[in-house]
Amino acid sequence: MTETIFEKTEKDQHAYSLPKQWQELESFIPPKKLLRKESAALPEISEIDLTRHFSQLAHKNMGIDTNFYPLGSCTMKLNPRVNEVCASLPGFTRTHPLAPDHTVQGNLQVIDELLKILCEVSGMTAGSLTPNAGAQGEFVGLRMIAAYHQQRGDFQRDEILVPDSAHGTNPATATLAGFKTVPIKTNAQGDMDLDALRKAVSERTAGLMLTNPNTLGLFSSVITEITAIVHEKGGLLYYDGANMNAILYMTKPGDMGFDVMHLNLHKTFSTPHGGGGPGSGPVLCNDKLKTFLPMPRVEKDSGGAYRIVWKEVESIGNIASFHGNFAIYLRAYLYAKLHGKYGLRRIAEQSVLNANYLKVQLGNLFTIPFKQPCMHEFVVQADNYLDCGVKALDIAKRLLDYGIHAPTIYFPLIIKECMLIEPTESESKRTLDHFVAVLEKIVKEIKSSPELVKAAPHTLSVRRLDEVQAARNPILK
Amino acid sequence: MDFISNQDPQNQEMLAAIGIKTVEELFESIPKKLLLAKPQTDDGLSEFEGLQLVEKLASKNTFAQYENYLGAGAYEHHVPALVSAICSKSEFLTAYTPYQPEASQGMLQSIFEFQSVICSLTGLDAANASLYDGATACAEALLMAIRYQKRENVLVADSLHPHYQAVIRQYLRGYNSQLEQIPFLEKGELNFDALEKLCTTSTAAILIQYPNFFGGIEDIQRVSAIAKRTGALLIVCANPLVYGLYALAGELGADIAVGDGQPFGLPLQYGGPYVGYIACKQELVRQLPGRIVGETVDVEGKRGFVLTLQAREQHIRREKATSNICTNQALAALASLVGMLWYGKKGIEKLALTNYQRTAYLKQQLEQAGIETIGPEKAFFNEFIVKFSQPLELVMKRFRDHHIEPGVELERFYPQFKNCLLVAVTEAKSREQLDRYVKVAKESL
Repeated sequence: MTETIFEKTEKDQHAYSLPKQWQELESFIPPKKLLRKESAALPEISEIDLTRHFSQLAHKNMGIDTNFYPLGSCTMKLNPRVNEVCASLPGFTRTHPLAPDHTVQGNLQVIDELLKILCEVSGMTAGSLTPNAGAQGEFVGLRMIAAYHQQRGDFQRDEILVPDSAHGTNPATATLAGFKTVPIKTNAQGDMDLDALRKAVSERTAGLMLTNPNTLGLFSSVITEITAIVHEKGGLLYYDGANMNAILYMTKPGDMGFDVMHLNLHKTFSTPHGGGGPGSGPVLCNDKLKTFLPMPRVEKDSGGAYRIVWKEVESIGNIASFHGNFAIYLRAYLYAKLHGKYGLRRIAEQSVLNANYLKVQLGNLFTIPFKQPCMHEFVVQADNYLDCGVKALDIAKRLLDYGIHAPTIYFPLIIKECMLIEPTESESKRTLDHFVAVLEKIVKEIKSSPELVKAAPHTLSVRRLDEVQAARNPILK
Repeated sequence: MDFISNQDPQNQEMLAAIGIKTVEELFESIPKKLLLAKPQTDDGLSEFEGLQLVEKLASKNTFAQYENYLGAGAYEHHVPALVSAICSKSEFLTAYTPYQPEASQGMLQSIFEFQSVICSLTGLDAANASLYDGATACAEALLMAIRYQKRENVLVADSLHPHYQAVIRQYLRGYNSQLEQIPFLEKGELNFDALEKLCTTSTAAILIQYPNFFGGIEDIQRVSAIAKRTGALLIVCANPLVYGLYALAGELGADIAVGDGQPFGLPLQYGGPYVGYIACKQELVRQLPGRIVGETVDVEGKRGFVLTLQAREQHIRREKATSNICTNQALAALASLVGMLWYGKKGIEKLALTNYQRTAYLKQQLEQAGIETIGPEKAFFNEFIVKFSQPLELVMKRFRDHHIEPGVELERFYPQFKNCLLVAVTEAKSREQLDRYVKVAKESL
């Protein structure tokens, strides 16, 4: 049975060492009444046991380095180690966020150049690297849209339109930014229902949040109509950049008609997922909105030196303690420079080719709701196994036994027994063929021994976990 | 270069299997007028050239050549070597959010332990899996209080980090809530008379920083008493290291504790990634934002960990979620956790004490040399204000000529503190370094 680090505590054992004290220091004692009453309730653990504890925990975890991770919407591409080397250079790690500008010219150059690269790739003219994740990027974008309308004296725009296939952060962000969410139907072809859109757009529309390709992995061929419909009624367009991998240097959100957007550097630009973060969600925008971008900003003076600007009158203000997740977007900078435009375009082509290949191979095993070519990800339905008592969830769990991380399941919400599969451009045909072979095996198991699938996983450090109990009787520490 | 596996031989096979000739055929849903021409020349770099490029940029930074006395929410502490050894392990570095718990027990248990350590340090009942940073943790705590209390107004100390205050205003703008600042007095201490008047029955919460922005320790029990009189919640924003020495948030009557875990396990790295933490009393648990890990059992009764209380989160509740947060600071939380455990029960107390003592040493030496300090005599942590009689420009130049970055110019944040520096001292400062600071400071008398 696994033990937590607290349960491994041994009296007086420890890992730490501290710099030498000197005589005078002992005379400094803080006021007694302010001190903590009891000793810190932390474990006492030696360095070897601490090392072993986490090393053993690592063995109980899947990662891209060790397993294929076809998680739709997450873009689980290789996290290159050269990025890690870059981010750990002491010239970068030792810089304080309030260091004088002239002592951090390297950092400021990274920020300036990365923004130029990201603007170029998005078809935008300005941006900010400070949002710490996609959701924060969305929040900044919607705040900028709100500021835009307010500046024009238009105070009645309190609605954000969002497709019913949208990622949960979109409506959650709309609420956070003070808007009401209005869902727009997706049609049977997997595209936005234009009639529904026309009916929903009004003088109350602040904007429409959209990702393209959408969460079904489909590129909307009527995208310029969509953006025109919204613009015509005075609304703005927000692009959720989560699916950017499919369109790098293939097409630009700015050209499609979007006014503001975010990118997920921990998806498209390979920064490590780290078990759920840290990420980075830079915001990019066109000239309409650039005055509202958050602070701080980087500027270049006439002599070519970079400086930080901390206050601008029309900016919406700060979104982070300092400059955002610097060491994360630093990794993205190197990744972008290694690829160049040429390499980024190859990413789009290969990610889409890999996905379509898989889709064709899986056509015999699952319901494919949308027959047209997909982009970098696609949706299958596992509803054809329900009569054997097997759901998408069960197939996902059985995949784990074969050393493959499950695809995204039950998202988007509008597709029944949905599995969203995104191989990314990283994967070799061999890996893709293996994935198909494993799914074929699982389908055979569904027919011959369904219990094997329904009770999966069998070979990991734990069997299926009781999530109901965890919620009913929360033990959180 | 790129990191693509498939080359022409494999791609030809895949195209044939799909039944098409070229990959361009897969992009036909993109309107022609939106399609970009394919770049013809390879403008990428080799791995070698890429590293050369970033090494050159890193060397353009000269900050590491200075002895650093900057604090203000980012502190220079020793980062144990074990931290990067653990965090660079494939299974932690390249793992995704633990939505498939059976394949993610390593990460889930680590987060559970992070939550546990935060609860131990703050003296509260439950914590989440991390937020972006201390600033957003403050904002989320206030939103929590507004929801829970069904009251609209919040009081925030003006001695809370100005950047944190700015982020709070950003997050509150979408709500009908009123934010009022609690002013401070000459030495940076909370104006309690003003606080008593400001705190009413429509106050959802009071938020103060511990130590405050100027390094001073406030009389938090007094704040707690004022809060209780009107039923307002008390939110304490703290550097977690402060709990190694001073009273816990829970001991002081706080309902929510937030802050930034950067001092443990995370280098300065120009402001991020850091790690926000939030902990609360039991009755507030269902209002917590973001991910929470809980303990459970599997079908064989074996102990395991899962994401829990997910009905609060964006992927389930969407527009009704307690927060929009999805990706958090997971790996940075792991780094901070390893850092905190490396010190452990006794180490954290010794670390906090030596931080206090070194700060006190510098402060006393400066005062004895005739240099003015502003703030509490003994009740401080890591930082204090120094006021110079000479113009600050001269003083800064003198220190920098000696390769010392002497402190944050306070006037940029608070115009009333002219000619003042906010000076931070940690265990990273030796006696020689501190004595040298005093020597240079004396030249500015």
